[in-house]
Amino acid sequence: MKINSVKQDNCLVIYINENEANFSKSDKFKELVFQEIDQGNLNIIISFKEVNYLDSSFLGAVVAILKHLIPLNGKLVLTQLNQDIKNLFELTRLDKVFNIEYDFSEALNVFK
Amino acid sequence: MNNKILLVDDEVLQLKIIERLLKSNGYQCVSVTSVQQAEEVLKNFVPDLIISDYEMPEANGFVFRERLLKNDDLKNVPFLFLTSFNQDDLVQKGLDLQALDYIAKNIPATQLLAKINNIMNTVHEQYQKSLSEITNIAKRLNLNIVPTKAPLLKNFEIHYFNHSYQNHPGGDFIDFIKVNDRYTFLILGDVMGKKWGAWFFSFSFLSYIRAAVRICVLDGTLSLNDILKKINKVIYADDFLRDIFSTLSMVLVDDDEAKLIYAGAGDLPLLKFSYQHQQLLSYKSEGILLGFLEDSNFPEQEIAFEVGEEAYLVSDGMIDFEVNAVKKSDINLLKQRLYDLKISGKSTEEIKEILFNSQASQIDDCSFIIIKRK
Repeated sequence: MKINSVKQDNCLVIYINENEANFSKSDKFKELVFQEIDQGNLNIIISFKEVNYLDSSFLGAVVAILKHLIPLNGKLVLTQLNQDIKNLFELTRLDKVFNIEYDFSEALNVFK
Repeated sequence: MNNKILLVDDEVLQLKIIERLLKSNGYQCVSVTSVQQAEEVLKNFVPDLIISDYEMPEANGFVFRERLLKNDDLKNVPFLFLTSFNQDDLVQKGLDLQALDYIAKNIPATQLLAKINNIMNTVHEQYQKSLSEITNIAKRLNLNIVPTKAPLLKNFEIHYFNHSYQNHPGGDFIDFIKVNDRYTFLILGDVMGKKWGAWFFSFSFLSYIRAAVRICVLDGTLSLNDILKKINKVIYADDFLRDIFSTLSMVLVDDDEAKLIYAGAGDLPLLKFSYQHQQLLSYKSEGILLGFLEDSNFPEQEIAFEVGEEAYLVSDGMIDFEVNAVKKSDINLLKQRLYDLKISGKSTEEIKEILFNSQASQIDDCSFIIIKRK
């Protein structure tokens, strides 16, 4: 699972450096982000800039991260989703529960 | 069939010879010249077999094997030593490290290939045997995630199909619950995930769904919104399913009035081909994935049917395609295919056959239910 995390302003930006975000990586991804949350990183941006395809397993991991953050009063913003992935969030109504910003700068603004 | 092999040897010539031998016999090989490189590759790739040299600079094959045995994701990957260091004590240590074999490098190529073929066949047979045993146990426990037959109704024909991904069970589940001569529930769900994990959890979801439907029916409630709210609440409260989510499409067929009531949770739209408009209509449900929020609402919609019209419930595997090695999710592609088939006058049975044959590059388990007005 190739990700890198960078502290920027008052939030943690997690870049998924994978072309395919799929079943084989979803558990590891969830575990890594949960570790960040447990270390006190409650303002999180996840960038999908490098991701071309997202399967339902990985989508489930992203949903689990949001569910984990809500009772901790944390905030999650998803950014730089391609059109297919954005459509997938809309098709499954997940666009109603996630904060999705196309531009990275807009994602940062959410935490200002 | 299992055919991915990781080769680890610091002697590049030896590596190339074995790689060529294996590739020419149908295996896919990833070759690296050090344990460090192997460990890097294994972060993103789980092979079906690892073949490693013993003596290598920095970390040797034994150190490599010891580290693998401590890694839960990799400790069960079959492992072979292939080396010119063949003293008895080394062979013994290699075998003690749960290597399947310790092979001398001067072995004839045909014998090496035969040993590898035998290992791969045994691993595959063992896997199939375990799969069959678990499937049989599940059957005995009545843990079917797909019914054995469709309900027979006066005004509708019900067809359904479920196709597993690479012969692994998946997270899709289908159920039909006939309440009486008038009302029948049709259920299509998809636990997010693939293969065994999703399959395992699909039983928990199905158990809750079956129980909730029956309890509500006993209480005289046929409201899909009420039933889905109850299902969602118990799933949300179940700590075992804390990080597991499922989509659900639920249809109540009113066979006397020849109409459907539909509601869903994070599911793909119900599709219906309308002869009147000569188009494929989408009915989007409004509910959120089961188990995400403690209190959710699942508004119902009524769908009227003309004679001959068809509606389709689909799981997300039906909209995942792989074209030129690029994967994508595209519901419009499925809609276009369905539309073309309907316009060309294909029967329900033909549509079922053609859709699944055209899923040549299927990348997830696929399920769908066809509801046809007689």
